[in-house]
Formats: sequence, C-alpha cells, structure tokens
Amino acid sequence: MAIHKIILASFQICLLIQFSHGATKERLFSDLEKGALDVTAKPSRQGVLDAGIDKLSITWKLSSTAKTQASFKTIKVKLCYAPVSQVDRPWRKTENELFKDKTCPHKIITKAYNKSSQSFKYTLERDIPTGTYFVRAYAVDAKDHEVAYGQSTKEAKTTNLFSVQAISGRHKSLDIASICFSVFAVLALLVFFVNEKRKAKIEQSK
Amino acid sequence: MAHHNEDNEGSIGTSMHGVTAREQVFSFSAHEGEDVPSSRAVRFDEPTAKFALPVDSEHRATVFRPFSFAKPHMRAFHLGWISFFTCFISTFAAAPLVPIIRDNLDLTKSDIGNAGVASVSGAIFSRLAMGAVCDLLGARYGTAFLLMLSAPTVFSMSFVSDAGGYLSVRFMIGFCLATFVSCQYWTSVMFNGKIIGLVNGCAGGWGDMGGGVTQLLMPMVFHVIKLAGATPFTAWRIAFFVPGFLQIIMGILVLTLGQDLPDGNLSTLQKRGDVSKDKFSKVFWYALRNYRTYVLFLLYGFSMGIEMTINNVISEYFFDRFQLELHTAGMIAASFGMANFFARPFGGYASDISARFFGMRGRLWTLWILQTLGGLFCVWLGRATSLPIAILAMMLFSVGVQAACGAIYGIVPFVSRRSLGIISGLTGAGGNFGSGLTQLIFFSSSRFHTADGLSLMGIMGMIFTLLVAFIHFPQWGSMFFGPTSDELKSKEEHYYAREWTEEEKQQGLHEGSLKFAENSRSERGRKAALDGSSHSTQPENENSGNV
Repeated sequence: MAIHKIILASFQICLLIQFSHGATKERLFSDLEKGALDVTAKPSRQGVLDAGIDKLSITWKLSSTAKTQASFKTIKVKLCYAPVSQVDRPWRKTENELFKDKTCPHKIITKAYNKSSQSFKYTLERDIPTGTYFVRAYAVDAKDHEVAYGQSTKEAKTTNLFSVQAISGRHKSLDIASICFSVFAVLALLVFFVNEKRKAKIEQSK
Repeated sequence: MAHHNEDNEGSIGTSMHGVTAREQVFSFSAHEGEDVPSSRAVRFDEPTAKFALPVDSEHRATVFRPFSFAKPHMRAFHLGWISFFTCFISTFAAAPLVPIIRDNLDLTKSDIGNAGVASVSGAIFSRLAMGAVCDLLGARYGTAFLLMLSAPTVFSMSFVSDAGGYLSVRFMIGFCLATFVSCQYWTSVMFNGKIIGLVNGCAGGWGDMGGGVTQLLMPMVFHVIKLAGATPFTAWRIAFFVPGFLQIIMGILVLTLGQDLPDGNLSTLQKRGDVSKDKFSKVFWYALRNYRTYVLFLLYGFSMGIEMTINNVISEYFFDRFQLELHTAGMIAASFGMANFFARPFGGYASDISARFFGMRGRLWTLWILQTLGGLFCVWLGRATSLPIAILAMMLFSVGVQAACGAIYGIVPFVSRRSLGIISGLTGAGGNFGSGLTQLIFFSSSRFHTADGLSLMGIMGMIFTLLVAFIHFPQWGSMFFGPTSDELKSKEEHYYAREWTEEEKQQGLHEGSLKFAENSRSERGRKAALDGSSHSTQPENENSGNV
C-alpha cells in the first residue's frame, strides 16, 4: 500500500509540473504585433549563396505603424526557413506556440533596441543547411518575452527569399584517412588468414 | 554404426546450435567410450586440468565467471560479446547525430526513415548466412570477417554527400549485426548446456547495450571534435572514425587472442574420422514446416524489432520534442539501450523460473506479459508530453521489450532440436524484419507525428503479441490449453522425433533428439519433478505406453 501512495504522489507531482509548464508557455505568435519593424535583407550577390562565404546586409528600423515600442528592450535577428524548406521536415515546423515554433532556429545578432535604423553585415555561418530563407527580427521586452516582430518577406513568406547552399563538410584529408584505414582493416584480415592457412599446411605436412 | 553429430558442429548451415539454448550436453557423457564425433576433434582422454575453468567431457566450461578472462572460454565470451557490442555501436552511430546530419545532407523525414529501415535490413540476410559461415571458418574468423570487412563501410561516412549515399552506407554498415550469430555460436561451443542460457542471455544483452552506449558516445565525441575546432558538418564525419577504430581494434584482438574451440583453432585441429553432416535442405525444411518458427519470427520482430527501431528514432525524438541539447537527448536515449545490461538476462531468468513451476506454459505466459507490458509503456511514451513522464515511460518500456527478448530465447531452444540453429537464426532475422517494418510504417513519412508513431507501434506490438497464444506444444500445452491427452503425442520424444524420417531413425540419427527430449521433460513444470523418477527408468522407446 505504501508503494501505491508513493506512485500516486509522484504521479500528481508530475501532473503539477506539467500544468505549471503550460501556464507560462502559452505565448502565441499570433499575439505578437506584426510588422512593428521594417526589416530588409540584401544578399551580397545574385544566385544561390554559399554558406561560410557570402554575406547578407541586414537593416531594421521601427516601422511607422508600430504601437508597442515602449516595451522594446532588445532586438533579436534570426534566419528563418521559408515554407518550401519546411516540407517533409517536421523539425522545422511553424507552430503558433512560441516555445514550440521552429521556424527561426539560426541566431544572427542580438542588439539593444534603438529607434533609429540599425544594420548588420552577416556572414552566413558554416552550419547553415541548404535551403530557402528570410530574415525576421523579434522585439523582446525586459522579461525576455517577444512582443513584436518584423520580417524581410511578406506574411505569406513567398517573396524576397534567398537560397543558401551549405558546405559539404567533406575534406580531402578525411577521404584519404578513411581510405587508408579501410585498406588497413582488409589487409590485416587477409594477412592473418593467409598466414594461418600456411601454418596449418606446414603442421599438416609434418 | 552411424556417427551422429549431436551438436551440429560439423553440419553446415545447421549451426548456431544452442543459441541461448539449453543445449543438453548430458547426452555425451554416455558415449565416452565410443568414437567421438569428429567435428569435436578432441580425444576423450585428454587432460582437462589445463583449463582455468572446470570443463565437461567436451572441454566446455561448466561455470560462468564473468570477471575472468581465462583462455579459452571466458576469453571467447568477452571477445564475442564485445565484438557484437561494437557492431551495435556502429550500426546505430548515426542515430544520435541525425539532427546534424539532416542539416548537412538536406534530408527529409522520408530520407531519414528509409535510411533507418536500411540500417537494419541488411542483417536479415547476413544473420541467416552467418551460421554457415561459422561452420566453415569457425567463430573467430566469422567475427573477424564481419568486423574488418564492415569497418570500411563505417569509414565511408566521410564520403557521403546526399540522401542516397547516406542510405547506402547505413545499409552496408548494418550487415555487421550478424555478429549476434557469431557471438552466440562461439559461446555455444565454449559453454556447457546447463549454463548456456545465462551465458547467451548475458552475451546477447550486453551486446545489445551497444545501441544505448552509442547514443551517449557519438554526441560526446562530436562535441569534443567541435571543441577542437571542426565545423559541425565535418565534425560528425570525423566522429565516425571512432566506431571504425573500435571495430579494427576488436578485429585484431579476436584474431590474435581468440580461439575457435576449447582445444584450439579450427584450421590447426585435424578433422578426424568421418563427419556426418546433417543436410542443410532437410534442416531448413523442418524449420519451415514448423509453424512456431513464423510465430517466433513475428514475436521477436515486435520485441527486438521495436528495440532497434527505438535505437534509431528516440534520440531525435527527445531532441525535437523537448528541445534538449544533443548530448542530453543522447543521454536519455542511451538509458534505453543500457537497460539491456540486466533486462535481457532478467527476461531469460524469469522464463526459467516460471518454467520451474509451470513448465512451458509458464514461459509462454511470462513472454506474453513482458511483451504486452512493453507495448503498453510504448503507447504511454508516445502520449507523454512532459519530460519526466516520457523518461519514466521509456525506462519501463525498455525493461518490458528487452526482457521479452530474453524470454523468447528461453522458448526458441524447445521448438526444434534438429533445426535449432536455423530457427534461432530465423528468429534473430525476424527482429531485423520487425524493425524495418515498424520504421517504414511509422517513422518514414510525415503521415504520423513521431509521438503518434510510437503509440501506434506500441499498439501494433500488443496485437502481435497475442500470437503467443498460438504456440502450442502437444506435450506441454499452450497459454490456454493443456497438453494433449493423446498418449502418443503427449510425449516429448514424439514431438522431437517426428523431425526425422523412418530411414533416418533406423540409422539412429535421431538419438540426439531423443536425449534432448528426455531432458526437456522439465518443461512440464512441477509435475515433471514428481513424475520424473518413473520416466528415467524406462527404456528410451517412443512407444512406451505410460504417460
């Protein structure tokens, strides 16, 4: 019976933790003020950009239609996936609950809020995957909660996008090392095998 | 006088004898004065004092000392299970790194799922072939071949640049899971039948742990390589060198320290006398004819199969669903596989204990209970929305399915005596088949969220586990029915002897099966202990009328 009580108690504690989590995590994307910031992202050249090499010129400033700018403390600029790069990839899914939303996983820069125009030259990191992207800037208040945002594309996320080609991650030295060790493995086996067969023949002939 | 091969050592394709079985070596003691089957290649009068462990007449160890490395027995045990462990590490090494790999190679959910299916499919065939390979080359070369020839496939991860390459490499690496067979084969020739159940349960369970350790090892290695300065998309490729090295090291250790048989290596021992090989076609035929083979194939598919599927998907699941760090997700995923250390031997032990009281019916019920509980907790895991509950559900789930694996191999040895090797191999292959199937249905498309996939897989597992009720032994009964009342059919001898034709019986080839039948009377449960005394004095005659 004591075990029953312990199990029941721990179950209730777990439920409590679950509910308490839920209370703080219901901040929704749809609650944020849209278009509070005007964001532009200009690629350094035409065509598909190369990760690790090409740059983006990002600028953001307060939009004339913004209302909630009194609470803005910092601006978090992020690189976000366009819908075409989210297809069949549930780990990049757009969700309304902010803590679940995976649209913008790549941080570009975080700067204090300034109502005049800000800019940043961003070199695409070497761990950016191949895909189509846009830039979004979140305005965050003192409690580190998002209150508003602006993005470099329209709401449908179909215009003003740019494509990135990831690095391959392969290296010639790696390829060569890989071949060397593979050859060693196979040779070692063959050498042992042949050697033992020879020894067995010698013993047999004795 | 026909030479018969009790333990199938010399018969190609019939090997893997006693895979976690209760191999009855008792039968040998009665034949000490006669010509010994040549595949043993040992004189009956050779001194046994040179062995570190006590041995029987075949020079197989009669005790199990896990902390010893004495040659040849314990050394073979450790080399065998560690090789199997290493191959598990390699096969599932990609799983905890998928969050990085999917970004590097631009994979979709289908690509990841298909590669997961491919990683377990190769072993369906390699496990079947491995028995024959061990017969021909010995367990030592069987193991070493797998380790050394699959090491290049592990290294070739450095060349992969797209989904197709990723899938091919994972497919090729997966072949090395056949070390399950070579490991069990090796322990079966080294350990006496009375303890082989425990030995094989430990070897199997500790090897399976590799699937858990890799979830911990690979993210750690990846992290260290990143700290050393490599960019993530290169670091994961370098990380694969670690399982590759482990395989090469184990391969060399197996070749230099290992020994095929208690008395020496296969190639240096002479095969004396004539070897009566059982015909592969017959052995295969009797395995296929026995409907229990298929039931066990499916059952293992939903215990071991589910376990391997989880090895492939659980790290990514925790990473995505609970927003954890890569190595945190890896740690949680690792605890799933690590539970094997005690869970699988526990399952075998539970099966043995229930058999002591209720015989085979007890084993069947134990299996059903363990596997159904496993499925139930799998459903719960999919439903869990908070991290602590998910971890709790996962741990209970892991014990359930892994113990079920051990319990299945408590039943496998009794399904057939003649075709034991093949049935063991087919059951093992069923595990890979189940893993491929569940990954294909639930985790390869965007149709299900991974969480729903887990729950549905648990439900599917519970449904398939109902098949246990269909395993019926005329001499011992099944879950819901007792043994048959027919006087003839209710004898163990009848069940095991019907795998031999009349001509074979006249040549006395079925003697081994009869001996096994006599020893298997313990599967009647408590009653056997009471009836046993009256049976042992009867002549070994299938037609003895008293039940």
